[in-house]
Amino acid sequence: MAARQLSRSGITLKGSAEIVAEFFFCGINSILYQRGIYPPETFTRIQKYGLTLLETTDAKLKLYLNNVVNQLKDWLHSCSVQKLVVVISSIDSEEVLERWQFDIECDKTMKDDSAPREKSQKAIQEEIKSVIRQITATVTFLPLLETACAFDLLIYTDKDLEIPEKWEESGPQIISNSEEVRLRSFTTTIHKVNSMVAYKIDS
Amino acid sequence: MAQGGDEWELSKENVQPLRQGRVMSTLQDVLTRQENASHLAMQQQKQAFELEIRFYSGEDPLDVWDRYINWTEQTFPQGGKESNLSLLLERAVKVFHEEKRYYGDPRYLNLWLKFKNFCSEPLDLYSYLHSQGIGTSQALLYITWAEEYEARGNKKKADAIFQEGLQCKAKPLNKLQCHHRQFQTRVAQQVLQGISEEGGADAADAGFLETSDPQRVFLAVLKGKGKKKQAPVNRTTDVVKPLNVQLPPPQQVPGSSRFKVFDENVVTTPGAELHSLTPQPWAALPPAKAKENEQRAGPWNSGRHPHSSHVLEVTSSLPSFIPYVEESAQPAITPCKINPTINGVLSARKPGKEKDPLQRVQSHPEEKEQKVMYYKDKVCAGVEEFSFEEIRAETYLKKMRKKREEELQAREQRRVELVQKVQEMERLLNEMKNKEDQNLVEQPTQMSEPHAMVSSSPDVLKSPEQQNKDAVFSHIVLDPENSPAYKSLSLLPSSVRDSKLQLKQQDQDQLCSLDLDLCASTLSGPMPISFTVFDELLPENHPNRVPVPCARRPLAPVSKPQVPIIPKGGGVMPEVSDDLAGIEPLNEEAIVTEHNDKTLFPIPEDTCDFMRAACVVSTPFHGVTAQRVESEPDSGRTINETERQPLGEQTPKCVDSSFNQALGVKKLSPILEVSQEDTRSSVSSSASSVSNTFVDHVQISEELVSTHCRASITNKTVFCFPEDELLVVCCGELHRQLLKPFQNLFSSSTNFHQETELMPMIQEETNLKLGSENYCIKQEVVVDEANKIYLGALDTATDAMVAIKVDSQPIPWDFYINLQLKERLGVLYQEEFQKCNCFLYQNGCIMLYEELTSISVWSIIQNYVTIHENYIMVLVYHLLRLVEKLHTAEIVHGNLHPEILFLGFGIGAIVSCNKNISILKLVDFTHSVDMRLQPLSSLNGFPIIETQQAQQILSESSSPYQVDLLGIAEIVHLLLLCEHLQVHQEDFKWKLSKIIPKYLNSELWARFFETILNADGKSTVSVLRELGEEMKPSDSVYQDLRNFISFLV
Repeated sequence: MAARQLSRSGITLKGSAEIVAEFFFCGINSILYQRGIYPPETFTRIQKYGLTLLETTDAKLKLYLNNVVNQLKDWLHSCSVQKLVVVISSIDSEEVLERWQFDIECDKTMKDDSAPREKSQKAIQEEIKSVIRQITATVTFLPLLETACAFDLLIYTDKDLEIPEKWEESGPQIISNSEEVRLRSFTTTIHKVNSMVAYKIDS
Repeated sequence: MAQGGDEWELSKENVQPLRQGRVMSTLQDVLTRQENASHLAMQQQKQAFELEIRFYSGEDPLDVWDRYINWTEQTFPQGGKESNLSLLLERAVKVFHEEKRYYGDPRYLNLWLKFKNFCSEPLDLYSYLHSQGIGTSQALLYITWAEEYEARGNKKKADAIFQEGLQCKAKPLNKLQCHHRQFQTRVAQQVLQGISEEGGADAADAGFLETSDPQRVFLAVLKGKGKKKQAPVNRTTDVVKPLNVQLPPPQQVPGSSRFKVFDENVVTTPGAELHSLTPQPWAALPPAKAKENEQRAGPWNSGRHPHSSHVLEVTSSLPSFIPYVEESAQPAITPCKINPTINGVLSARKPGKEKDPLQRVQSHPEEKEQKVMYYKDKVCAGVEEFSFEEIRAETYLKKMRKKREEELQAREQRRVELVQKVQEMERLLNEMKNKEDQNLVEQPTQMSEPHAMVSSSPDVLKSPEQQNKDAVFSHIVLDPENSPAYKSLSLLPSSVRDSKLQLKQQDQDQLCSLDLDLCASTLSGPMPISFTVFDELLPENHPNRVPVPCARRPLAPVSKPQVPIIPKGGGVMPEVSDDLAGIEPLNEEAIVTEHNDKTLFPIPEDTCDFMRAACVVSTPFHGVTAQRVESEPDSGRTINETERQPLGEQTPKCVDSSFNQALGVKKLSPILEVSQEDTRSSVSSSASSVSNTFVDHVQISEELVSTHCRASITNKTVFCFPEDELLVVCCGELHRQLLKPFQNLFSSSTNFHQETELMPMIQEETNLKLGSENYCIKQEVVVDEANKIYLGALDTATDAMVAIKVDSQPIPWDFYINLQLKERLGVLYQEEFQKCNCFLYQNGCIMLYEELTSISVWSIIQNYVTIHENYIMVLVYHLLRLVEKLHTAEIVHGNLHPEILFLGFGIGAIVSCNKNISILKLVDFTHSVDMRLQPLSSLNGFPIIETQQAQQILSESSSPYQVDLLGIAEIVHLLLLCEHLQVHQEDFKWKLSKIIPKYLNSELWARFFETILNADGKSTVSVLRELGEEMKPSDSVYQDLRNFISFLV
């Protein structure tokens, strides 16, 4: 993996951005698979972080995700992104049913030319592994998504950031009356990612 | 990085996912709870639900079951036996089995769908539901049914189900359509995939997911890899199923192609007929629960087809296929013969024990021969059996609860009526007043008017107890012979009684005759509920009270309190009411109608109640009319109630005894009005006398204030305040007026700070900025509702505490008192009182008293049961000194109690070097009265008055200073004996009722109490000085005291 090359020299800003972006790519794929947004047969297995993860084979989706991830990488590099949110809403009623929120804390003191931080690749990978495992385990309490759903990606950035083409401004898409569960977080010492999921409880 | 809130992840295997999701908080709770605690709580909740099931009397019993089941699901994430969920569901569906009205209820359908999870054959269940018409109007049924088929790979049937649902127009229709569409899309996709990959005849039916991934074989043995011999994550490598099995599974039994061995990898073929969806009567239901590892009967090598194939193709079985029943009846013997004697564990399974729950539901036990003689339905209603005692207990509790509710309601109603009555009365009396000048001729009309007006009120206040009340009213007995001088005019809560009537004894006859006339003419409708209401109140408190002769008890030479003072807690009730025993007549009705309980107004004395009600209801009147009628100032008779002058006119009056009897219990009509003309004169005279006394008492120029406050501070009575607020407001208003001229004085004082903003909210454990300092609030010592005292500490870590007194009124009364003390005491001020600062906000006032410890006398009393006598003496000495200084400065504290006396800071040091400084500090001067400014001659307005002791000991001729003496006595009593002061009279002197134990210097204390309790007439300053001399501790005691205090601190 790309990050491995940096393993000996510690984590740089660029490296951290890559790690986080990769995590998001895998994480989003997992969510899409777990929640059944896309049919399971469109996913293929890959090995990553010591886990068997599922990645989509749908070309369009793949392209879209790659775009997002690359853009995200840039923003992570410039430390201008605060959150990434995966919003799952029903196609028919356009109601937001689930909301996966990843808060990103960036250490702004880290610049390109700063000394790399000490943290082993392995440790980071373990952390990411446990987050993804936890995402899978959320099935214990998440309600079944009965209707066909679609997903949206929202990214919270700094105010003055230019909106790239193909992106548009949007509202937060918060769920009213939601249950929130905080999940694990991981950190590369430069970026810290906290995760949580909010879902609508049907009483 | 496992965090505390991750139990759910760690126990994820033990948590069954629910369709509707789980509430995380409940889940966390359940998973983290300790065994015992959780068990108990859960049991209790369960019990509550069970109870509810049994005793539910509402319209919708399904709701109870629904909630119960939801709770069970959330609370027992593992499902499992503990939760009894399957049993619960089974019961639930069974209970409502007959209730057709729930057939269309989505909740009921949900119950069934949850139940399906416990059944061995869900498809059977669906068919059953369909045939019975349960939930057939709900889209959910069809959706889940089709899902079931789809999961089994039977797309055609799934589609058929959808069609059926659409035909039935199941609700919500768009949801059904949406799911159908999605299903169709899925099928189409799969078909496309199938076609592209397989290209076979049965591709259309293939619902089988073909992927090119290597797939694991089911139940293959995992081979450990690597050093640790752990099965790797990627487990598909070793044993891989051959992909794309195209060929249909080989027929195991050649020749008889009727049966196919079920191959889970291939969808069941069209051998399973499309099961027609027509409802069919289900005679017998298929299969017993599919047991694991079950092998059907039959010798191994017989050539007969295993029946097992049928079992799994059950979905399409027709009801008439009786063999299923028979099958289940066959014993399932494991092929390997086990000698049961040797190996008890694996004994042959007996048939019939584990019947399909669905089967159980459907079988209707026919037990016509048996009749159950106990309330079996109640016992077995829920999942668990209830014992008879539990059931009985619940019914009893229910009854009690209901009764209590009714009582409360009745009381509430009565209160409302009372209040309305009051208003009515006021209105009427006002009118009465206006007609004062009219002559006698017009009397009857006038009388009938109010009567009419009053009688209109009953219409307004219709109550179920109307009849009762009327009857009650009729008994408003005023036994003339019994009440020589006093007519209890209990009729009108407002007025009546009293002195006015006393004056008019001679007019009795006249009145009576008038009454009779009135009566005759007014036997119309139900009379004044007002009267009856009044009566009822009485009996509530004294059901046993006989129409005691209304003769008032003559006043004891030592002053007895004249008015029932309403104790805050109502605890004094019986005693006080004894005073008034003679006043109200009772009527049997009232006695019969129960209620020993406390009423809204604890004192049964009607006028007091009324006054209270009046205060609550109509403040303006309260102030103006609360004038005492001093009917016979010289008779020594005290007037027990305050009366409202205008209302007094409506005194009902005296009834002839004969008349009284004639009325009987159930009769109506009463007398209402009285001869106004007779009373009027007396009223006016008494009114004038009242106003005279009134005028005398007015010292303060502001009229509004005076009417307000003086009303309470009238000569003969101790006024009863309904609420604390009123008292405070009263004083607040008064204080505000009093302080007007002193504004300049305040602003020039260095310790006074006027702040422009609103008063900050103060709470424990928060910081408060006052002036330039920050204080951290440690503790709250509540004095009463309007004032709070907090203990705080400066942020800088000295041990000195400060007391912060918060007043909700922006009136710096305390500060004023302190200023006066400073002025008048001069040098001595430093000894007794500490520095204080005042912060005046827009909406409140904060007083800051510095240099205290957190120990109050109250805490000493509470924490140290036996305090050495010497220490008590020291405390008492200082207390006496303190109060002496106050009195010297002509200030009455008015509310001495242990909670507001704190030990000063740095006592140790103080004590050792300067014995003249007081160790006790006061932090509250709310009720203090500056006698120079506000010379009072009565004791009203002091909270202490409301206590029993005060009423006993103090009379109207006591000076206000004695209030402080009483306060001191109370505190000392508490310190000595840990009990409130109790006194009795002996030889015209007040003595302690409790004997001072021997280990204390009883002589000394006896003298102390005697002096302090019987200090009538003497100057309190001298009394205090005297006592102080006695109590003055010696130097050695001070030494000990230092130790004691350091021990305390």
